[in-house]
Amino acid sequence: MDTAFVEPTRRDVLRSAGLLGFAVLVGGGIVVLPEPAAAQQADPVPLNAWVAVLRTGKVVIRFGSTEMGQGIGTALPMIVAEEMDADWSQVEVRQIDQGPPNVYGNPKTGGILFTAGSSSVEGYFEPLRRAGAGARRVLIHSAAAAWSVPAGEVATEPGWVVHRGSGRRMSFGEVAGLPRLVTDVPAIQEADLKPRSAYRLIGTDPGRRDIPDKTRGSAVYSIDVRLPGMLYASVLPAPVEGERPVTVDGAAAKALAGVVDVVTLSNGVAIVAERWETALAARDLVKVAWTRNSPFRTADSETDLAALVQAATDGGRDAVAWENRGDAASALSAAGDRVVSAVYTTEHTYHAQMEPLAAVAAVDEDGKGAEVWLGTQSQTLSIAAAAQALSTTPDRIRFHAMPMGGAFGRRTFFARDILRDALLLSKQLRRPVKLMWTREDDVKSGWFRPATAHQLDAVLGPGGEVKALRHRVASPSILQFAAPQRWESAAGKDLLVMEGTESSDYAIPDLLADHVLVERRSRVSAWRGIGWAPNCYARECFIDELAAAAGSDPVTIRRRLLSGSPRGLAVLDAVLAMSDFGKAPAGRAHGLSFAGYKSTRGAGVAELSLDDATGQIRVHRFWAAVDPGFAIHPKNLNAQVEGGILFGLSGLLKERISIAGGEVQQSNFHDYEPLRIHEVPEIEVRIVESGAAPSGAGEIGVPMTGAAVANAVHVLTGKRLRRMPFTPERVKAVLSS
Amino acid sequence: MAKLTINGVSVPIDADPRTPLLWVLREHLGLTGTKFGCGAGTCGACTVHLGDQAVFACQTAIEAVGDTPVTTIEGLSAAGDHPLQRAWIAEQVPQCGYCQSGQIMRAAALLRSTPKPGRDRIIEAMAPNLCRCGTYPRIVRAIERAAKET
Ligand code: FES
Ligand code: FES
Repeated sequence: MDTAFVEPTRRDVLRSAGLLGFAVLVGGGIVVLPEPAAAQQADPVPLNAWVAVLRTGKVVIRFGSTEMGQGIGTALPMIVAEEMDADWSQVEVRQIDQGPPNVYGNPKTGGILFTAGSSSVEGYFEPLRRAGAGARRVLIHSAAAAWSVPAGEVATEPGWVVHRGSGRRMSFGEVAGLPRLVTDVPAIQEADLKPRSAYRLIGTDPGRRDIPDKTRGSAVYSIDVRLPGMLYASVLPAPVEGERPVTVDGAAAKALAGVVDVVTLSNGVAIVAERWETALAARDLVKVAWTRNSPFRTADSETDLAALVQAATDGGRDAVAWENRGDAASALSAAGDRVVSAVYTTEHTYHAQMEPLAAVAAVDEDGKGAEVWLGTQSQTLSIAAAAQALSTTPDRIRFHAMPMGGAFGRRTFFARDILRDALLLSKQLRRPVKLMWTREDDVKSGWFRPATAHQLDAVLGPGGEVKALRHRVASPSILQFAAPQRWESAAGKDLLVMEGTESSDYAIPDLLADHVLVERRSRVSAWRGIGWAPNCYARECFIDELAAAAGSDPVTIRRRLLSGSPRGLAVLDAVLAMSDFGKAPAGRAHGLSFAGYKSTRGAGVAELSLDDATGQIRVHRFWAAVDPGFAIHPKNLNAQVEGGILFGLSGLLKERISIAGGEVQQSNFHDYEPLRIHEVPEIEVRIVESGAAPSGAGEIGVPMTGAAVANAVHVLTGKRLRRMPFTPERVKAVLSS
Repeated sequence: MAKLTINGVSVPIDADPRTPLLWVLREHLGLTGTKFGCGAGTCGACTVHLGDQAVFACQTAIEAVGDTPVTTIEGLSAAGDHPLQRAWIAEQVPQCGYCQSGQIMRAAALLRSTPKPGRDRIIEAMAPNLCRCGTYPRIVRAIERAAKET
């Protein structure tokens, strides 16, 4: 191609020296070279596992979480840079692709490299501020030694080490160039860390480091990786989980020029070709007879949901207590017919991350090692899965955790199948392989948020206070399916299903939250908001029902419930003020929801109208108040909450996966359509900082949406929406009931 | 061998004429800024310009391109500083970023035909493009900002 194709000065010819050898070809195309092709820049001088300084003054800060859109590659390094007093404009950030979990693992995710549950800031805040403070101390002690002054007389300013008495200064780069670095410095104590009042960087908005590339098409996702000699693979998945190919007729496919092989896998048939379009064309020519005896053949979302409701409402079923305060069972039985009850359901939802799953693998000559490119929420788990696929040890896997075109839970434990298949194909064909799922594959082989049924029972006191609450959830276990080893030691408690039901901000003397475990009928997984989304939906709708039963109102009852939670009250009051709650314009109504997500607190108000003729809900405005302790990178936190709200609204208004005869009925965005731009409300987010330890914000937007919408519909129509999603047909049916 | 004009340069193409432009751009030429989202004309991740028009590259066979010049995100501006690209940074639009090439290309076609679009026109024009991360409010603000600057 012509070298003038795209202005060649736009990018360095080689980037990210020593990390990934991204070569930018003439024409702006990008190929990832299997070995770093660039010479190291001036040698980085490591100050500890997280930080290195170059003689040029550049500071390289590493971070353990993977980037799926949440901006973590900026927020985590900001914590380090703050404590070490780095000059942010000199900081280069680098994601950790692999490394010892005991050094880099997130303490909140079992100590491994795992990005899930909005736990990155919460888990890494302490280790990273200590890493930053430790790096600063090395710089101070090294400069002090060079100046022959006591370290106590040396301070830092962003990018500089300064001797107070003499006014002498040394840049971080100059310190890195000293002949001797003092690295055996005293350990960092709590008192060595900056108080919040001294922060210069945290709480400001320097902007996300990944954004410029994402406006130029130059961010490289796993689906974009191209290697010399690479083959393309497409896999025909089994139509129903558990089925296997019995006979495969690949003759017609193989007759197509450019088809390399048709390979029978354990649960699918791979078509491998020199070109992607050939693999796709050949795929249509392969004839497969599948087994027909999978137990999932009988899966049917209608009857399975009915069974869930039965399981939740039939008081006789065994249930595992998730939270038990006081004695809710006795309180409920003593109350007899004064018990207020309601049943809520949610249904399967699909992640619909915009990048379909893709994996690239280049297996070594001996078949016992590989270089791998994958968009994943866990480097540790993916490396282990790759090692397992090749019956080798993790040290033989050279891993690249690529930026993800969305994840939302899809790429946690759940990206292992595609990785395994790519590795096995590369091993068998002795060439690098890019395996891509089509959107149809991604939908049909999806791992969905499971349907849930919620039975809620409560006893109200004479003054309308909630004296007792039981929240029973019937659902398959996600943890059991996704992480069998963790499930073994979980004593039947599934945090991925049950979190949120503990309602720990609420002052309810007798509370029981329990889980009726139902057998899995589909592939299930976490979905943005995890259990918090369905659980907060059901509980917060029910709280409005209780307010009505007690002759109270949504605000009074929640104020009372939150009497022991200053953080909960603060977000509640903030959102009430922001929305001027209850004073919606004519034809519209407001609905309120409190919501937690782990340590983060939130409250939301929806303003909506409804077309009675079609049952179409139109959400016009949404207000949210969120307390993440304090915000590291506030504008990005705001964007995350906004995104979470839209994700939640999309799910509850439009999204439903249905299964019949074990087959997923949807296939692409025409029949599983996330929210589009014309359906978006005006959103206002306010961060209400309590000053508690910082916690995550990637998911808090989701759990507040369900009840805010359903409660507003009740204000408008007098009808309760107890079945999510609230599709127009369903709403219409409820209106005419 | 067929030739396509891509980002101002004539490029020989060795592919079946029915091949979607998307695969030629991404897998033959390495212009991976244009994304694959659905392959069905329903998400807009693959949006490029055919002449002045925003089209779905997944729905455009290379035989239908002919001599009409193709512009991809890589060729939108010489230095990655098209007013929309600057506005996208100023408004901090992208999250995962996967949809954003398509969003920017669709917005660029809009501003070319309608330099000062109102909010309703923006929303109407952008409706073919999905963003699962929910960056829509920022997309609207960024287009408004770019329209003001040009
Ligand atoms: S990939 Fe072309 S519209 Fe979705
Ligand atoms: S930024 Fe992720 S899909 Fe739009």
